[in-house]
This record gives sequence, structure tokens and C-alpha cells, in this order.
Amino acid sequence: MTPIEAFERARRRSAVWIGVGLLLMAAVYVRALVFTPVEAVQGLAQKIFYIHVPSAWVAFLAFGILGVTSAVYLFLKDPRVDLFAASTAEVAMVFTTAVLVTGPIWGKPIWGTWWTWDARLTLTLFLWFVVLGYLVLRTAVHEPGQRARYSAVLGILGALLVPFIHVSVYLFRTMHPMPVVLRPGKPTLPGAMLATLLFSFAVFTLFFVALLWHRYALARLADARARAEAERADA
Amino acid sequence: MPDNGGFTVAAYIAAAVIYLGYAIYLVRGGRAKG
Repeated sequence: MTPIEAFERARRRSAVWIGVGLLLMAAVYVRALVFTPVEAVQGLAQKIFYIHVPSAWVAFLAFGILGVTSAVYLFLKDPRVDLFAASTAEVAMVFTTAVLVTGPIWGKPIWGTWWTWDARLTLTLFLWFVVLGYLVLRTAVHEPGQRARYSAVLGILGALLVPFIHVSVYLFRTMHPMPVVLRPGKPTLPGAMLATLLFSFAVFTLFFVALLWHRYALARLADARARAEAERADA
Repeated sequence: MPDNGGFTVAAYIAAAVIYLGYAIYLVRGGRAKG
């Protein structure tokens, strides 16, 4: 099997898993909206939690992977690692966008405002701009080695923001609630709500893996086609 | 209990548009330049 055939196969397989992820996402919607109790104080708006928090978890996971792969690239200088990091950054951008869209829609009914410039919200917006800068940088620099090196440095800087965002609710005065699951001690969420949240965590993570797999297969496919074309031109 | 279900519907639709939109974009080939 040629590399192009192998990446075409990976592309088809990952597309199936993206479909599975979307079906499971629909199941999260049904479970969260229909079968999970309504929180007494916040009312129905609290249900935004089941998509907002898993989106944030996956976004932070993606930035963690971006930071690690960027550091690995700087050591190995392997173009495949650079392509993987770039794929992770694009998918991270999507999940961070979902966090920044669903957060204000939850904030308006509960805080009375769409946005406040507190530490967690502002740092998350900065993170979004860092990954936007990463993706713009990749289109602006054409020499592959230079593009990969600059991107890797920016990827590491973006990943360094994530731990600050997670602990920002402890370090600064903020309107954003404290963690209820990823915190010291046991989760403070009632059982039925915790089960829905964990189901949502699992589905969002699977969906992320499928998207990343597909995005990476596309990148490798484009790379393999460009190499084959260059070889044909040389011959 | 506050009547704020409209915000929930809006947030769920917004998330669906973002994720479904990106999934369709990617399966149709994306930018694929790396």
C-alpha cells in the first residue's frame, strides 16, 4: 500500500468515527436536556454546563497536546510532529470557540452580563488569540522548517496559559465558579448530574480524537501528494 | 425557579452549529495544508 492509499484509508475511517461522535453528541443533548434534573437555583440555564465544561476540558487537553508535540518537534525536527501539532491547534481553536460562545450565553442569565474582564475569561480569550495567531502564522511563513519552528514556540506559549486558566479561580477574585469535578477532594456535584457530565466528557473526548485523527490524515495526505508531485516533476 | 430555558436552547444550538459545521468542513477536505 502506498502512503497516499494509507492516508486515504485513515481519512475514510476517521470520517466514520466523526459520524459516531456526532451521534453520541446527540445522545449527550438528549440525556442533558431530558433526563438530567433541573438545578433548583439556576434553573434550565445550568444545563449549559454539560456542553460548556466538556468543551473547556477538551480545549485544555488539546492545548496540552499542542505544547508537548511542539516541544518534541523542537528536539526531533520531525515534520510529521509539526503536522500533528498544527492539526491539534486547529481542533483546539474549534473547542475554545465553543467555550467562548457558550460561556457568555450562560453568564447572561446567571451573572446578569454577557462578559466580564475577570482572570479566567480574559485568559481564555487570550488563549483563543494565541491559537488564532498560530494558525495565521502558518499561512504567512512559507519555508517549512522556519514555519514549524516559529509555530512550535507559539504552541508552547499557548499551552503555558492553560494551568494559569485552571487555577485562576483560586488566584484571583472572579465571578467564575470554582471547579466541581477537577478539584482537590471529591466532586461536589449530585450523582445524576455527575453521570451526565462524565458521559459528556467521554463523548467530547472521543469526538476530539476523531476530528484530530481526520485532520492529521488530511495533512499527511496533502504532504504525501505534494511529495509525489515533486518526484514526478524531478523525473 | 428562573425562566431562562431560551438561553439553554441558544447555547446548545450554537455549540451544535460550531461542532457540526467544523465536522462537515473537515470531512469535505478542510484546508489540508498542515
